[in-house]
Amino acid sequence: MFPLMKAQFKKDIRSPWLVILLTIGSILFTFIFTDLHEQTETTVPIFSSEPNSREVEEKWEPLLNANQDYDFVITDELEAQTDVEDGKSEAAIRLSESDYQIIAASNTQAVQLVEDYVHSVFTKEAQLQAASGTGNVDTTREKVNGYLEEAPFQMQTESIEGGEVPEYNMQLQLLFGFTLFLAMFTIGFKVNAVTSDKVSGVWDRMILSPVSKTGMYAGHLFYSFMIGFMQIVIVLAIFNYVMDYDLGHNFGMILTVAAVFTLSMVSLAMLFTGFIKTPEQFNMIFPSVMPIVPVISGVYMPPGLISHPVLSFVADLFPLVHAIEALMDIAIFDAGWLEITMPLVLMLLIGVICMGVGVNLIERRTK
Amino acid sequence: MIETVKLSKIFKGKKAVDEIDLYIDEGESIGLLGPNGAGKSTTISMISTLLKPTSGDVKLNGKSTIKNPGEIRRILGVVPQEIALYEELTAYENLKFFGEIYHVKKNILEQRTQEVLEMVGLKKRQKELVKTFSGGMKRRVNIAAALLHQPKVLILDEPTVGIDPQSRNHILETVRKLNEEYGTTVLYTSHYMEEVEQLCKRVYIMDHGKVVAAGSKEELLSILSSEDMIQVTLSETSERVVEKVKAINNIRRVDVTDKSLRIISKKGSSILSDLVHAVESEAIHLTNFQMEKPSLEDVFLHITGRTLRD
Repeated sequence: MFPLMKAQFKKDIRSPWLVILLTIGSILFTFIFTDLHEQTETTVPIFSSEPNSREVEEKWEPLLNANQDYDFVITDELEAQTDVEDGKSEAAIRLSESDYQIIAASNTQAVQLVEDYVHSVFTKEAQLQAASGTGNVDTTREKVNGYLEEAPFQMQTESIEGGEVPEYNMQLQLLFGFTLFLAMFTIGFKVNAVTSDKVSGVWDRMILSPVSKTGMYAGHLFYSFMIGFMQIVIVLAIFNYVMDYDLGHNFGMILTVAAVFTLSMVSLAMLFTGFIKTPEQFNMIFPSVMPIVPVISGVYMPPGLISHPVLSFVADLFPLVHAIEALMDIAIFDAGWLEITMPLVLMLLIGVICMGVGVNLIERRTK
Repeated sequence: MIETVKLSKIFKGKKAVDEIDLYIDEGESIGLLGPNGAGKSTTISMISTLLKPTSGDVKLNGKSTIKNPGEIRRILGVVPQEIALYEELTAYENLKFFGEIYHVKKNILEQRTQEVLEMVGLKKRQKELVKTFSGGMKRRVNIAAALLHQPKVLILDEPTVGIDPQSRNHILETVRKLNEEYGTTVLYTSHYMEEVEQLCKRVYIMDHGKVVAAGSKEELLSILSSEDMIQVTLSETSERVVEKVKAINNIRRVDVTDKSLRIISKKGSSILSDLVHAVESEAIHLTNFQMEKPSLEDVFLHITGRTLRD
């Protein structure tokens, strides 16, 4: 097992670029995509086509911007429409005195969320208008706000542990997502060395040597695990200790989840190896299938957006979705071992099944 | 030492090896000769326990190796047809790796590595990456990797395919030295009859998965003892002259190559005057006439009706 690992390591020392590029890629992708995510989420252009457009816009702009999740910006009508057409903005709002119109290129989930929010603002304003009658709306608003501050029924939101409900951190999700996603490639390409050895004849030479088959597989798989895990550790450590990202208080638990994820990914790559005949086939099929995994796992989107049962089922068959769930629970919600037991068990289960089937397929073909 | 008993292998209903019996005594140098697809590689894969036979057995000193392959594996050194090396490593690193997996003791591994590198003539280039080597040099490292653990039996599967004459000679000389000076038992497969003739005392000729002839070189050549080989060079050839030569009494076979005719005739029959007459009747001149000693290639041709490279 150790001579085999040493040989693989020497090969990688000679050409370390795959691991280096994928590690740098994890860091770059996280930076680029978290930045894009921040930009596209918030800005919604608003305008009015009424004769008193300036008055209407100035009335609604502060009311709409009461929510910190959106940034409603007064924009020229033509510019707002062009932004929507070009995809720079998901939606724009045409404002009237007491009504609005959503302008969108397509009815996406993001547009729906904007509409829900705008609708609630206009409904509330209409209610205040009705309650004021001929009186001043602002006075009524102040009265309502004052009353709500000391309302007879106070509603307080708390986390399960009794503390403040933590805010979901999309940046962190993308960091974990890209780190694990790119590590999947490193792991896959390393496991592919089993097929390379089989095709080159080195595998047969090892079979004739005193090294056991278990030792041969263990050498390759443990090495693939080590390289994949090291890549994840390096990226997460850089973000935690150098870039000052808040990965929670338990970095050790995060690394444990990463280790279990790496283990199950090694097994998944072995399953792929069981179906293919040459390293070239693996290099073609594995990178074609893997990019779909984070998409159906909802890694690039806020939680809850992937609701299709078939997609969710398929995503559950891969370890990525379980790893992200566990990592986010640890980093954001300070989850303990008990809370992350289920994702860990599922990843291990995937690992055991894929390894069993994969090794059997490889051995069956040899016979 | 090693024998196969009605050894067969069927792949998807097709018999790749068909009930072959062969034996190898200690210190012998055995050739397995046959064209591509004859079943040589499948046979040696079964002998070296890499492939399970469909039926039959491989025995080492009378004991079956199928259920207990460990014993034969310990004494075998196998040189596969493909370059079974890590091309991203140097020749030295490759040999170190194979020595380690063969559990060659650390204190003698370095010495053994240098010895086998010397043997295959690559000592000076041991620190170069295998991927930068020529095909012949790679094949020499391929052989060296099988020698590190000092195997009693060396199996070589077409070790000279596609290489330059210099490397080929070096490989043949290495194998000869291993057999004659170190007493290593050699099983050498090839479709180059000259190599087998040069290296092996006994030869098995295979075709379509069967052993079609076996014996020492002399025994095999005696198959053709009732025939003469004649090489005739003409000023030009035509179909008519070939037909006329074939029609001569006692001529059993005529093969045409360029401006030459290779004729097999009954031993001792006087065909010369008829041959000259047949050629000159077509206004063609006979420029050269030569009696030849038969080779294993001729034996193969005689038995199967085709050449080794068909």
